[in-house]
Amino acid sequence: MTAPAVVFEDVSKFYGEVLGVNRVTLNIPPGITSLVGPNGSGKTTLMNLMTGLIHPDNGRILMRGISPRDPEALMRITGYATQYDTAPRWATGFTFITTGLLLFGYGRTEAEEKAWKALERVALTDAANRKVAGYSKGMRQRVRLAQAIAHDPELLVLDEPLNGLDPLVRAETIDLFRSWAAAGKHVILSSHVLQEVDVISDQVVLIANGTIVAEGRIRGVRDEIDEHPSQFIVRCHRASEVASRLFDEDHITEIRLNDDRMGMLVMTRDREQFARALGRIALDGHRIESVLPADENVDALYEYLIGGE
Amino acid sequence: MAGGDLSFSGRARQAWTIAKIDLRRVFFARRGLWVYALALLPAVIFLGHGIDVKTTRERLARRGLTAPALLDSIREGEGVEDLKKRLGEPAAERWSVRTRSVRQGTGNAGTTTHVIEPAVEARFVRLNVIRPAYSGDSAARIYEFEVYGPDDRLNLALHRPATGSIPCSEDQGPDKAVNGSVAGGEADRWCSVDRPRFLQVDLGTARAVTRFVVKHASAAGENEDLDTREFNIQVSTDGKAFTTVETSSGAAFVEERTEYRQVTYFDGRREARLLFVDGTLQNRNIRRLLDFEEDRLIFAGIFQYFYLRLAIFFGCLGMFMYLFHGEMSNRTLHYWFLAPARREVLLAGKYAAGLIASALIFGGGALLAFAAMVWPHDAVEVQAFWNAGGMTHAFWYAAAAALGCVGYGSIFLAVGLYIRNPIIPAAVLLAWEGANGILPHVVQKFSILYYLQSLCPVPAPMEDDAPTLIRLLAAPAAPASRPGAILGLLLLTAFVLWIAGRAVRRMEISYGAET
Repeated sequence: MTAPAVVFEDVSKFYGEVLGVNRVTLNIPPGITSLVGPNGSGKTTLMNLMTGLIHPDNGRILMRGISPRDPEALMRITGYATQYDTAPRWATGFTFITTGLLLFGYGRTEAEEKAWKALERVALTDAANRKVAGYSKGMRQRVRLAQAIAHDPELLVLDEPLNGLDPLVRAETIDLFRSWAAAGKHVILSSHVLQEVDVISDQVVLIANGTIVAEGRIRGVRDEIDEHPSQFIVRCHRASEVASRLFDEDHITEIRLNDDRMGMLVMTRDREQFARALGRIALDGHRIESVLPADENVDALYEYLIGGE
Repeated sequence: MAGGDLSFSGRARQAWTIAKIDLRRVFFARRGLWVYALALLPAVIFLGHGIDVKTTRERLARRGLTAPALLDSIREGEGVEDLKKRLGEPAAERWSVRTRSVRQGTGNAGTTTHVIEPAVEARFVRLNVIRPAYSGDSAARIYEFEVYGPDDRLNLALHRPATGSIPCSEDQGPDKAVNGSVAGGEADRWCSVDRPRFLQVDLGTARAVTRFVVKHASAAGENEDLDTREFNIQVSTDGKAFTTVETSSGAAFVEERTEYRQVTYFDGRREARLLFVDGTLQNRNIRRLLDFEEDRLIFAGIFQYFYLRLAIFFGCLGMFMYLFHGEMSNRTLHYWFLAPARREVLLAGKYAAGLIASALIFGGGALLAFAAMVWPHDAVEVQAFWNAGGMTHAFWYAAAAALGCVGYGSIFLAVGLYIRNPIIPAAVLLAWEGANGILPHVVQKFSILYYLQSLCPVPAPMEDDAPTLIRLLAAPAAPASRPGAILGLLLLTAFVLWIAGRAVRRMEISYGAET
């Protein structure tokens, strides 16, 4: 028997006249796979198709050999953290996850144990007995993640799972993804920022306008991207000193200081070297508050990628 | 257990788990409070009725009871004092006097005659109208003004030149009052609203006059109230100095007085309300304060026309359409769809939750209303009713309410999967259920009401003289037997749920903005 894969065969989905995704063919092996594309490119549509929340107009989908039309079998091995930022009004974080687990047929005690374990994994135990409706955005993001992983699924579908997480939880979450991937599970996540996920992904699927643009092991895709200068917004104290330190690096092509002297826009040809340089600067006692990828114009990136083919 | 238990009983357990989770939402939905109001309304009505009757009975019994035979002996036409002597002090008594002002009859048919003794010399005769009508109308209306001398035969004013205040219209001038006729309608009168209103006749030469005759509005057939109320007559020999010879202040008004007296006797069960007009019994109304038979009929009517057709109908609409549609608008439906359960199992669980809640609410509401209806009645009568199968009545009312929820629930659950806006399907269904009685017999079977009708223990009251169409609309023919009705209803429900199952399998999550 071949390795269980997530398979899309010529799948199309239309919303009325509007195209959702068009003739998608995919074969995703276990491991961490990132669906990357700008907002509205069809990432959520693909994920909803995988989990049977919507049905394809054409084509066939098999999730580790199970059709999404059979939720009874599929959802037993699948966890999906959606982007729908809602929870039942009555639910606390703990009851929300426990209730979901009851539907799997677990007894109450077992369900509560598993719910607690899931909340521990996303570092939400402190807020477990508060109403979800009162959570912050990041906390709601985490409770949805906890709900998706509570039954220990083999197949995780996570829509923008790193959005709104603080750096510590983010690192822990990524470790979690890695350990699942190592255990032979599928971790399929989406992001609209390529730089955010390329380090952690085994495979990247680039999607634009409902069509797969590029697909492959991360090296191949990343090499293409590395030739393209990346932009970062750096927020820090004593920005001009930091800027002059950065200018000594070869890979930096341009720095624009902000008027408030608290930040700058940096363009670099090598993001790994840039990251190391920032680390050295921080070690020398400069307070770097945040580093954010600034390639907001993701379309440009895709244009670049498509053109480079 | 967690490892893919796909047997039938496993799925049933799963549906039950879903139902238990959803029950809280269905029972305590804040937007569902009106469902409770609908369900409890009949109970509140009957409770109010019971309290009202009980307090009335207490109030009437306070002054002692009257023997039933005496109550039956009351006859119309009896005098109030005689009756009181015979029956004793009444349980309650109220009286009122109404007075109204009426004009004393004159019997002169609109014609007044005024004799002057002794006769006076006059060339000019003038009629001054001070208050033109009893009704308050401002126009003076004189059809004829006649003047006679001592020989008393010749009308000296006839066809003489007449003048007066400005007439109402050209053809109602002063000459019309001296033309010798009254029969020509409004064009045969002198009419004037101009002040001072007066009519003057020139007799040609000074003559002895001794009698005047005035013909007012009613002399020509107009309303009596338009007759001249106050006027005077003056004479003059030179047309300058006038002497008043006659003043008429019109008919008098008298007060008409009617005494109404309502006397109530009470024999412990029946109340006799007697209306005396001017001391004589005009109207006798003996009724039972509480009539069990009647109340049971009223209950049957309220149950069938309000409870089954409206309360349960709209209650189920609110509860069952909300099961899926509500979660779609709250954006929480996907949590259910992401559970490891068949969509049909989800449907069954949600239907069960809605059914348990609605059957409890409406079945309980029916039982409460029934209890409230029975409560104020005489213990003996109630005991007899229980012995004669009253319990079965209560049971079948509750069962009909619950089965109504079974049927309407399935329909609205299915409708809610296809259509988001509840108004149009509600209107269509209400019309369909309402028109059921006039549809062909085969089509009737696709209506919930058709089956519920025959489960009710007492047929709904209907006036005997109601038109056939109304009769058909209100009380369609029902299937013959209860088991048949229940079986039919369950089959219809199963069919509707099967359709709903197909719809829910195809259902997709669509919360609006997708990315």
